[in-house]
Amino acid sequence: MKHADPTSTTYFISDDDLRALTGELLGAGTEVIAPVAVDICASPSAIASSACLRPGVKPIDIEYRALADAAELDLSRGLPVLSLKQYFLPEYEALCCWRQHGVEVEVKAVPTEFAPRVVLAAKPCDSAALAVIDKVMNWDYHDELWNGRREATTIVNLACPVIDESCFCTAVGAAPDDDKGADALLTRVEGGYLMEATTDKGRALVEAHVARFKAETDAGGAERRGRQAAEERAAARVRVAANLEIDAASVRDWIDTHFEDPLLAALGVRCNGCGACSSVCPTCHCFDIVDEEEGIGKGTRRRCWDTCQAPTFTLHASGHNPRDSQNPRYRQRINHKFSIYPLKFGEVLCTGCGRCTRVCHAGQDLVEILQAIDIAARRPEAAAT
Amino acid sequence: MNIYQPQLALVTQITEETVDTRTLRLELKDKALRDSFDFHAGQFGEYSVFGAGESTFCIASPPTRRGFIECSFKAVGKVTSALREVNVGDTVGFRGPYGNWFPVDGWKGKDMVFIAGGIGLAPVRCVIWNVLDRRDEFGDVTIIYGARSVGDLVYKRELEEWASRSDVRIVTTVDPGGQTPDWKGEVGYVTPVVEATAPQARNAVAVLCGPPIVVKLTLPVLDRLGFADEAIFTTLENRMKCGLGKCGRCNIGPVYVCKDGPVFTAAQMKALPAEL
Repeated sequence: MKHADPTSTTYFISDDDLRALTGELLGAGTEVIAPVAVDICASPSAIASSACLRPGVKPIDIEYRALADAAELDLSRGLPVLSLKQYFLPEYEALCCWRQHGVEVEVKAVPTEFAPRVVLAAKPCDSAALAVIDKVMNWDYHDELWNGRREATTIVNLACPVIDESCFCTAVGAAPDDDKGADALLTRVEGGYLMEATTDKGRALVEAHVARFKAETDAGGAERRGRQAAEERAAARVRVAANLEIDAASVRDWIDTHFEDPLLAALGVRCNGCGACSSVCPTCHCFDIVDEEEGIGKGTRRRCWDTCQAPTFTLHASGHNPRDSQNPRYRQRINHKFSIYPLKFGEVLCTGCGRCTRVCHAGQDLVEILQAIDIAARRPEAAAT
Repeated sequence: MNIYQPQLALVTQITEETVDTRTLRLELKDKALRDSFDFHAGQFGEYSVFGAGESTFCIASPPTRRGFIECSFKAVGKVTSALREVNVGDTVGFRGPYGNWFPVDGWKGKDMVFIAGGIGLAPVRCVIWNVLDRRDEFGDVTIIYGARSVGDLVYKRELEEWASRSDVRIVTTVDPGGQTPDWKGEVGYVTPVVEATAPQARNAVAVLCGPPIVVKLTLPVLDRLGFADEAIFTTLENRMKCGLGKCGRCNIGPVYVCKDGPVFTAAQMKALPAEL
């Protein structure tokens, strides 16, 4: 095998070389973010969790974390609890700081440029979501905090190794082996991974660590590996597609023209507005802006995640609330994701990760809801019965 | 540039409009910004008291008066209560101007009908002064303004000034029970007063702003008077945070009020879902 050929964009990287590459990045001081298994009982918030009291059980959460060591890299994991969004739109983020000097106020800017970093084994639904949010962050006004982090980050996706019954990326135009929003895509093959670098940032990562990659141009199993990867990826698409198939364009147009339809108007019947769906959602990007005082006469203005599911989201100071119950709030969530955003920005504000369904303690199931809307959109007479 | 970072503005004048409503005059501290600052009637800004947060109000002064901006607000929430406490010489934050605007230039030669209820006069006042500062470009000017009580009328000195002008027709009204013994204006809700005043709809534009109920009830009256929905303009006051079309809060149906609005025609407003 030869080393990487810059004219080619598909490479083979062995398990050992991927670990070595991770070590090289960390050694150079580059932040590397990847899914890792976290012992949830080690978290202070888990003290009361009954799962942590059972002997012999070690409950774990999968989370995107900055790696401390290349040995932590584990590419076999399923979907992290929180999406990649937190690394581009942090849950709490400083917009500026202020300090008062008598009647004078000094405003200190926050940096909008960030150190280069790499995400390894990002889920395709999570990288795709970033590309979807790019649209709203850049229509007219440019959000430098978002863009700064996007530009500083090289994202390497991993074609999904784990698919469950809540996944539906293929129904909303994505795929379990998508490279949308990412710079490269890894696919598991025997002994390592195939890596396709699809952007300049992806190619730069390969070039900077050229010794770790082998060009897939010779006869040393390249054809076999390519076939294996293609088969795995096709099979994954079929598995996801079995969960949900909708006509996203019909769904979009039907929602747009059926605001008062009983189906849409009663969607929130089980929802109690906790907003967990928005927190875990890779595309939900609504935020609040609040001032946090830090002592007397100084503080930080922050933006923090907010949700249209909260009663306070649209509450006027006068007490008037245009969305005064959970039904219109849930309808807004569906409307914004599957009709408003697609009509305005040409993208569905959902990448089918299924987190909202998995996390909902009230049993709101987006797969079920989209199925119902799709049936109504395709066959209006069937929905009426 | 970080779009969320506010400019600093100096409070140079305070007018107590009512017991709970005041107008602040602000001057941007940065001279270059102050000199180049430009906006259109109907645009809004994010005003902040550091430590309390940001709040959204229209710019209530007209673009024809340069060097300062004014905002009028009722102290009802956290930020407005903090703004209620500021003094002349204090520093506040400002971001803007944001949003679309009233197409004032397109109204040249037309009769202007201004209808406002309560604090809804603030955005309308901006257009009124904009038109009066360019008086010879427009036809007849009619102002119909109502508040709950005499004490709730805002811009009292300006109401008198407009009443004293021969080139302005102004009708002021207060809700029944809100009059004082020496009240010389009308007594009654805004909507029936509009109907009784019956402004001419031919070659006229109506600018309407007020509490949702006033807007809702006045639209059919304007329709009966012959105003087309495309000739009626209003400005929506959804709850907002960023003002930049990012935070999602003011989204209603297909529009982000902060960027696609806040100025809408009655025709556009009627096409929106009933979530106002």
